[in-house]
Amino acid sequence: MFQPLRLNALLTAVVAALAVLGLPLLGVGSYVLHVMILIMIFAIFAVAYNLVTGYLGLKTFGHHAFFGLGAYGSALISIHLGIGAWASLWIGAALAAAFGLFIGLPILRIKSMAHVAVVTLAFAEIVRLSCSNLKGLTRGELGLWGIPAFQAFHLPLVGEVVFSPANKIGYYYLAALLLGMTLLATAVILRSKIGLAILAIRDGEDAAESLGVNLTRVKLGVFGLSAFMVGVAGAFYAHYVGILTPSAAIGADLMILVIAMVLVGGLGTFAGPLVGAVLLTSSAESLRFLDQYRLLVYGGLIVLVVLFAPRGLASLRLPGKRVPGRPA
Amino acid sequence: MTAMPIALYIEQIVNGLVAGSMYALVGGGIALIYGTMRVLNMAHGEFYMMGGYAAFYLVGRAVPPVLAIPLVAGLLFLVGAAVQRLTVHYLLRQDGWLFACIAATLGLSIAFQNLALIVFGEDYKTVPYYVEGILRLGDIRLPLQRVLMLLVAVGTLLAMGFLLKKTRFGWALRATSQDSDAASVCGIPVSRVHMITFGLSAALGGVAGAMLAPIYSVSPWMGLPVLFKGFVVVVLGGLGSFPGAIVGGLLLGIVEALGVQITSAEWRDVFGFALMIVVVWARPWGLFGKAP
Amino acid sequence: MLEIRGLDVAYGDYQVLWDVSIDVAAGEIVAILGPNGSGKSTVLKAIIGLCRARSGTIRFEGNDLARLAVHDRAGIGIAMVMERRRLFPAMTVRENVLLGAYPAAVRHDAEARLGWVEGLFPILRERGAQPAGRLSGGEQQMVAIARGLMAKPRLLLMDEPYLGLAPKVVLQINDIIRRINAEGIAVVFNEQNVNLSFALAHRGYLLESGRLMLGGTGQEMLHSDVVRRVYLGE
Repeated sequence: MFQPLRLNALLTAVVAALAVLGLPLLGVGSYVLHVMILIMIFAIFAVAYNLVTGYLGLKTFGHHAFFGLGAYGSALISIHLGIGAWASLWIGAALAAAFGLFIGLPILRIKSMAHVAVVTLAFAEIVRLSCSNLKGLTRGELGLWGIPAFQAFHLPLVGEVVFSPANKIGYYYLAALLLGMTLLATAVILRSKIGLAILAIRDGEDAAESLGVNLTRVKLGVFGLSAFMVGVAGAFYAHYVGILTPSAAIGADLMILVIAMVLVGGLGTFAGPLVGAVLLTSSAESLRFLDQYRLLVYGGLIVLVVLFAPRGLASLRLPGKRVPGRPA
Repeated sequence: MTAMPIALYIEQIVNGLVAGSMYALVGGGIALIYGTMRVLNMAHGEFYMMGGYAAFYLVGRAVPPVLAIPLVAGLLFLVGAAVQRLTVHYLLRQDGWLFACIAATLGLSIAFQNLALIVFGEDYKTVPYYVEGILRLGDIRLPLQRVLMLLVAVGTLLAMGFLLKKTRFGWALRATSQDSDAASVCGIPVSRVHMITFGLSAALGGVAGAMLAPIYSVSPWMGLPVLFKGFVVVVLGGLGSFPGAIVGGLLLGIVEALGVQITSAEWRDVFGFALMIVVVWARPWGLFGKAP
Repeated sequence: MLEIRGLDVAYGDYQVLWDVSIDVAAGEIVAILGPNGSGKSTVLKAIIGLCRARSGTIRFEGNDLARLAVHDRAGIGIAMVMERRRLFPAMTVRENVLLGAYPAAVRHDAEARLGWVEGLFPILRERGAQPAGRLSGGEQQMVAIARGLMAKPRLLLMDEPYLGLAPKVVLQINDIIRRINAEGIAVVFNEQNVNLSFALAHRGYLLESGRLMLGGTGQEMLHSDVVRRVYLGE
């Protein structure tokens, strides 16, 4: 992060962004858009998880709690308080962030990684069990349905933008916008003074103290922001699919999937979570006929990646090819 | 609260002890691995699950329980040792091995669950009681199955204690857990100790799974809730402490049994997890240990 | 007995030893000298196997050690007293000492050796049932040496044996090392202080920044310009 943004990295980013924005204009089917929307939801989640686990070095295993909090928060607010999805999305995300700050405080005090893992897992279990037990509010595992979609609006030059299962273009661009904002926020943070402090924290805390940054506040702020981003992803998901169950929106499977994505793409790299989200979501969709093997494959994939490519698939070097500039 | 006959209270406490002894087996296994390798084994619940299935198939093929339980232990020992040798063994040498081990065992957990789903199917399997009948002591009534569970757990834990305290291997294990470099300089084959420890831990989980199989049914997902219980237990007892895990397990069992009066079963785990978070926050070294 | 040739050791990309060659004859006491960070400790760790040689060979009584794991080296006559003792703090003194005789090759006559070791260190009998973590630094050093001797070594490696010990204890340790040596056990230790080292050592080697600068007897080294330059920067 100390070196300036390289030209080819910038070029790749621009091309990727143009490809994402241009895809619906090619008249692709609703199913392709659906897969792309899922990829973008997971990408937001994975980027936010990577921010805490890859960059901050705080290995949490309970980020799915924030997805569920954002999803249920936004859904319940829009159902019961009559606030539109456009506003409830941010309230749901803020709720996730508030919980993030609340649980982040004790977590940051813990030095042992195993304790952090156990506490974050337990926290997510508490959220899941609570959503599952509060049947009067959430209907538990029966599912919370009737979650309002985003209201349509009129856009000059484009016309009426609608959000419906039949026409996913609106959802598509909204997801792209949210992902873009997430990436932008992440990039801005990583290139700021706080970013330097974050990297210093990861590489040994002594250096960060000398940068004159309040460690606890930086860590807590980043943790809260990450929870907010995951909450946004969860809230968008709620209004997109229209039905929530605790096991789908706060299940450990969700966390495992995101961990697999980040590990496959490369923990602590900027593009890693994006690559992982694309690879795993699209492969899962194209392997639908292998549905019962899907989680077996994810589990096995995590093990293999950790064993053979601990820095992600991108770090797998082809035989005979060297990374320039590194001594043999 | 209405007055409850004293016998009922005693029954509750004994039931709590029985459940707690199972938690102690599971937690003891987690503590053993964490204590020696600093690895938080997320796949421990699946050793428990495999123990359940092994018991189901052995007892279903008319193997008498007195033979089936040691067989389950032996089988799970081999599974645990193999898992260590094929994954954790290599991960311990990596930079960032702490996270790598947690992530890899998490991956193993989900893989084993779904492998079980494919191999054994999604239906819940029931295992008959190993012993029928009820023990009556005055007004107190205890199903013999639960008495057997308690006896097996106590016997297994005593055997583990003997192994750790009195045998050469036990000394090697404790030395490795305190300082693995110094242990290897003393001539202790640290890698082999790690492998055997993993096997022993899996065997403890397997015995718990086999003993609880007649009470709860056997399914691919039975491991996860038990893993979480095990985590609560080891945090209460101080992560990595084998005696701490036993005390923590019994404590949790009794508190849960008595707590049923106060709260419904579905909120019980929520309180358990909340209590655990508070303990980590206030006393990360556990309820009983001394601050480092 | 011990023959090190062209030893290179690196931690990752950071090389700490360059082309080091050292010989130790049976029954000798050899000091490895050098300022902080010169790589003295790494030499000992490479002999016992706690760090891997990048290139070069280490032979013990003619056998190449490269293929032996750390725990196998204990059984063939090499023992090491590690820096800062590294006892097993929660185990008793007696358990600590007996663990020194863990290798199968030295297990059978461990009882006899325990008697000899207890003769050298009376504290082992007095405080055998106490956890090793409760002992003072000097007492812990005695237990650590006793643990090493239980492996029936012909070569005893001692990493910073004087570190953190009171002057009186240093003299005691020297006395014990001489008695061990009188039994025919070769001792290799490292230490910063040249004068202190040659109160004990027959010969010494000087390391600076991971390179061998000089080797010789105490007389030769105490009067060497190289030693003076390395230590005083002259």
